[in-house]
Amino acid sequence: MSPVIIILCLISACLAFTMLFAKSPITSALCLLGVLIMTAGIYGMIGEHMIATIQLVVYAGAIMVLFIFSIMLLNLGESENEFKDKPGIFVLGIILGLSVFGLLAYAIVHYFNQPTIAKKMGQFTPELISQLGGNSKVLSHALFSQFYVSFEVISLALLVAVVGAVVLAKRKID
Amino acid sequence: MTNEILIQLLAAFLFTTGFLVVLLRRDTIMILMGIELLLNAANLSIVTFSKASNMIEGQVQVFFIITIAAAESAIGLSILVNLYRNFGSIKTQKATTLKG
Repeated sequence: MSPVIIILCLISACLAFTMLFAKSPITSALCLLGVLIMTAGIYGMIGEHMIATIQLVVYAGAIMVLFIFSIMLLNLGESENEFKDKPGIFVLGIILGLSVFGLLAYAIVHYFNQPTIAKKMGQFTPELISQLGGNSKVLSHALFSQFYVSFEVISLALLVAVVGAVVLAKRKID
Repeated sequence: MTNEILIQLLAAFLFTTGFLVVLLRRDTIMILMGIELLLNAANLSIVTFSKASNMIEGQVQVFFIITIAAAESAIGLSILVNLYRNFGSIKTQKATTLKG
């Protein structure tokens, strides 16, 4: 177990916890930005360089800039303490969250080394990937050969989303 | 305990936190941020499983999920700007009528 991954996981978990309880939306947005950057670091540490770069550029770059920009545009200040007015719902939510995390953690720890997972191994071993010219090259080749229809459809969906966002956000001309 | 189990536990924790953010917070922008956190946790889990079983399909799927997340947040934030323009607030309690 690599110590860098442990540190990245701990920082990421702390930032996510802070995000849940922060009062102002800008604190939460910056904590989410930290979580996304730490996740990009984890991707890089396990050898997924392409996904780490995309995570940094698209998630931590574009999406978070959009969030912080709209927080500044709407001029959101600190909200009043949201957890005080309904303590019953808060306690219920914490119990629900703990039970969801407990079930997921039990499933991961208990079933991770079962032989059914170990049997279905793919062909892209680390040796083959380094022989083929690295992670980015293999992933890009798969993206533009095996999955090219999905790639084109995704680009069309992105175009429709951009046009829809502009139509929704523009002021009505009366 | 290997790296994979640790990262899967982190993904479970991030998923739970995003779930609680969506459930408990009242700001619409916080709910959108919680959805981003949920998607990020799912991405982390998919990439780690795909890497652990020597596959490449998971990384391609995560590439598509990140693209869809960008489109989703652009649409969601423009809906949010409209909500603020019509109701003067982005709290979920204030948005009580369908006609703006």
